[in-house]
Amino acid sequence: MSGEGMSGVWRIPAALAVLSVIGLAAAILGDGLWDWLCWATLSVPLAACAVKLWRQWPGRPAA
Amino acid sequence: MTPASLRGWRLVHRWTSLICSANLLILCVTGLILVFHHEIQHLMGEDLDSSYTEGQARLPLQSLVDIAQKADPALVPKLLSFDPEDKAVNYIYLGQPEERGFDLGRWVVLNGFTGANQMLKQPEETLVGFLLKLHVDLFTGFAGQMFVGVMGLLFVVSTVSGLVVYGPFMKKLAFGILRFGRGTRIGNIDLHNLFGVATLVWAFVVGLTGAILSFSPLITGYWQKTELAAMTARHPEPMTGPAVSIDRVAAAGLAAFPGKDLAFIAYPGNEYAGSRHFSVVVRGHTELTQRLLSVALVDAETGVVAEAAGTPWYMTVLMLSGPFHFGDYGGLPLQIIWALFTIVTGVVTVTGFVVWLKRPRARSASDRNASGAKLGSKA
Repeated sequence: MSGEGMSGVWRIPAALAVLSVIGLAAAILGDGLWDWLCWATLSVPLAACAVKLWRQWPGRPAA
Repeated sequence: MTPASLRGWRLVHRWTSLICSANLLILCVTGLILVFHHEIQHLMGEDLDSSYTEGQARLPLQSLVDIAQKADPALVPKLLSFDPEDKAVNYIYLGQPEERGFDLGRWVVLNGFTGANQMLKQPEETLVGFLLKLHVDLFTGFAGQMFVGVMGLLFVVSTVSGLVVYGPFMKKLAFGILRFGRGTRIGNIDLHNLFGVATLVWAFVVGLTGAILSFSPLITGYWQKTELAAMTARHPEPMTGPAVSIDRVAAAGLAAFPGKDLAFIAYPGNEYAGSRHFSVVVRGHTELTQRLLSVALVDAETGVVAEAAGTPWYMTVLMLSGPFHFGDYGGLPLQIIWALFTIVTGVVTVTGFVVWLKRPRARSASDRNASGAKLGSKA
C-alpha cells in the first residue's frame, strides 16, 4: 500500500474525508434514514483510529 | 512540492498549532462536556421549565409581555425571542425606554403556555453556564471572544497545513502505522498523524464554524448596520399613535411567510427594528430551514407588512455554523460521536505538543543525516 507513492498515501485518508463530509451533511438534510447515514459514516474515521490503536497497542503480539 | 515550500508548510503547521494549543485544550475539555449540555442541565436541575399539557393553547404574546414587564415595571419590552427546539421557552428582553442596544436591560424567560417566570441564573452560577463562558470568551467578554475566534482560525490553518505535511511524511509509511516501540517522539508522531488525518474534516469543520460563531457579534452587527438598516431607513415614519397588539404584529409577519415559525420580534426603536416598524424574524422548521431567517417589517400603528426580505448569505453561514459546531442535529448518537471526535482532537493536540517538545535539538550535520532525515522533522 505504501509502495505506490502519493496515491497510496492518500487513498484511505481521502476515503475517510469523503465519509466525513457525507456524514456531517446527512443529518442536516433530514431525519430518520439521514440520521442513520450520518451516524454510520461518521463512525468510520473513529473506528479506524480505534482499530489501528488496538492492533498496535504496545505489548500486543504483532498481527 | 519543493523542499523549500515543504519547510514553509512545516513552519506554518508548527507555529499555528503551538499558538492555539493551550486554548485548544481548554476548548476540547469544555466542549466535550458541553456536547451534553441538555443532559447535564437536566441532571443538575438547571433546565428551564418547558412543561405543558398536549393540546394546551399558548398564552397570547401580549400577556407574556405583560407578565415579563411586571418583573421590572421601569423597563419596556424590546425583543421577544423564541427557542426553536423548545416551543414553551420564550425569552423577553426588557430595556430602558430610550435604549437602542441590548446592554442596560434584562432578559426574562417565560413558559409560553403557563406564563411561569423562570429566574435566569448568572452564567457563573451554573455548571453549564460556567463551562460555556470558559469555552466562548475565557471570562473576558467581547475581547476574549475575539481572541478565541482568532485561535479558531489558527486551528483551521493548522489542520490544512497538517494535511499538506502529512503526505510527504507518510510517503514510505503505511496508513495508521503506530511504532510505539521506537521511542516517545516516533510513537507520538505516528499517533498524531493517524488521529489527525482520520478526523481532519471534522476538526476543520468544527474549528471553522467555531471561529465563525466567535465572530457572530461582528457578523450580525454588520447585517444590522447594512441590509437591515437600509430596510428600516426606507420606512422612516415616526410613531404618532398607539401600537397594535404584539399578537397582531406576529400574525402579520407570519402571514408574509406562510409555513414559517417565529424566531424573534424586535420592537420599534431598537437597533433591529424601524422607528415605527416591528421586525418580525421567522425561520423554517426542518433541521436545515430553521437556520434560514427572513424578516418582515410590520407597521406598529396599522399592523400591515411594509416590507419583507430574506437575510444575506453570511447570516445563513452564521446560522448554519451552529449545528456543525455543536453537533446537536442528529440526536444522542451524534452527540456521542461528537464527543469521541473531541477526545481524538485532544489527543492530536497533546501528541503534537509532545512531538515538538521532543524535537531533535541542534546537532551536528552528520547526526542529522543519520537520523533526522529518516524521522522527518514533523511539527
